Amino acid sequence: AEAAGVPAESLAGCRARAARTVLDQVVLPGEELLLPDQEDGDGPGGAGERPLRLNAAARSRGRVVCGPGLRRCGDRLLVTKCGRLRHKEPGSGSGGGVYWVDSQQKRYVPVKGDHVIGIVTAKSGDIFKVDVGGSEPASLSYLAFEGATKRNRPNVQVGDLIYGQFVVANKDMEPEMVCIDSCGRANGMGVIGQDGLLFKVTLGLIRKLLAPDCEILQEVGKLYPLEIVFGMNGRIWVKAKTIQQTLILANILEACEHMTADQRKQIFSRLAES
Amino acid sequence: AGLELLSDQGYRVDGRRAGELRKIQARMGVFAQADGSAYIEQGNTKALAVVYGPHEIRGSRARALPDRALVNCQYSSATFSTGERKRRPHGDRKSCEMGLQLRQTFEAAILTQLHPRSQIDIYVQVLQADGGTYAACVNAATLAVLDAGIPMRDFVCACSAGFVDGTALADLSHVEEAAGGPQLALALLPASGQIALLEMDARLHEDHLEQVLEAAARASRDVHTVLDRVVRQHVQEASVLLGD
Repeated sequence: AEAAGVPAESLAGCRARAARTVLDQVVLPGEELLLPDQEDGDGPGGAGERPLRLNAAARSRGRVVCGPGLRRCGDRLLVTKCGRLRHKEPGSGSGGGVYWVDSQQKRYVPVKGDHVIGIVTAKSGDIFKVDVGGSEPASLSYLAFEGATKRNRPNVQVGDLIYGQFVVANKDMEPEMVCIDSCGRANGMGVIGQDGLLFKVTLGLIRKLLAPDCEILQEVGKLYPLEIVFGMNGRIWVKAKTIQQTLILANILEACEHMTADQRKQIFSRLAES
Repeated sequence: AGLELLSDQGYRVDGRRAGELRKIQARMGVFAQADGSAYIEQGNTKALAVVYGPHEIRGSRARALPDRALVNCQYSSATFSTGERKRRPHGDRKSCEMGLQLRQTFEAAILTQLHPRSQIDIYVQVLQADGGTYAACVNAATLAVLDAGIPMRDFVCACSAGFVDGTALADLSHVEEAAGGPQLALALLPASGQIALLEMDARLHEDHLEQVLEAAARASRDVHTVLDRVVRQHVQEASVLLGD
């Protein structure tokens, strides 16, 4: 489709806001954000001062990283998803850092380094095809398991659940998973055992649950002894002593998303009594 | 003469001014199953949009594009949506054309190059047709795409405009459409002011085109203001529940 400009109506210039002023606020696609080191240059009279700032490049030009939901558009950031704008300061120095949009979505897009839960859909030769919920099945080599050799193949059947990590995730290539870390250790990854229950939640809830200070997980842990696996692709596998307990846990975690902190507290106290 | 579409006082049949929109109400995330969904009411025109994807190419893999995602749009209007009951909800010539227009609109707005060899499905259903169905479908689909978290270059907002007695009317209702005057549908990317789709089926003098285009563009920006508020509220609600 062709895109043509409406004459004399482009408001793009005056809509751009400074990224710093909208941190933790909702941003929408089409908005443009200014980075901190451009703010002063864009004020009134800023253009005149520009030639004087010869050392601008040397001055704290921190590296800016565009996370999910942001793209570079000239010297500005263009928002491409709706959500809250987040920022993380870099470890050293000032300026720059990582900007991203924290959005609520259900469809997973593979990212290198993410730990996910996949379902084996096919065995072909020396690789397994694993469904991770993305736009393409991931491939998993049979050698990418702890202790696997050409002789000693891992016991993986079609339909098994796999907890692994992406080593290749890139829009132009097939994603590739492994079940070992860089030292060749399983480190918790591999085939997930029998029984248990797999269910899907939104990606935002997973990130919330995996945050270091998540109170939901601590409360859930107090209820019953349980085994639980979180995949960044929105899948949760949970197993408790009985099927009933497993179902209760799954229902709580699914419902968490639609409750406020107070409602969650009530539910947990009620369950702890019964 | 037939119906008076614009009174001497400048009011239209339903009591609006020439540039006024009908009331817009919208909701996002109406279905749990779909990746993204939205419902919109523009006056009495009601539309539902559902988005799936980006997912694997369904059907023949030969349709896969090596450099960008395939946007697949299907338009259907419920059999009970119009005054006269329709026989088939989709598959007729009008629905196919509408699907094609929606596809053009969203290929311009979605950053398709980020998901090569995959497919994005947009299904839109009109539940009640009271004029401006294309505009309602685009607006509903935009909200659904946003809800699905698919990267977009810009919001898309659409609105129709007509021309009666030397005045451009924004957001035509069914009565005004049925009167048979010229009618223009515009899908706008409001932040950049770019046009994603512009369509007109009737004859209109060249001198008047700019006026009608201007009215449609202004109405689309008004639609954007309303939808902007809806999205902000939705995101706010969703993130408050997750404890922000």
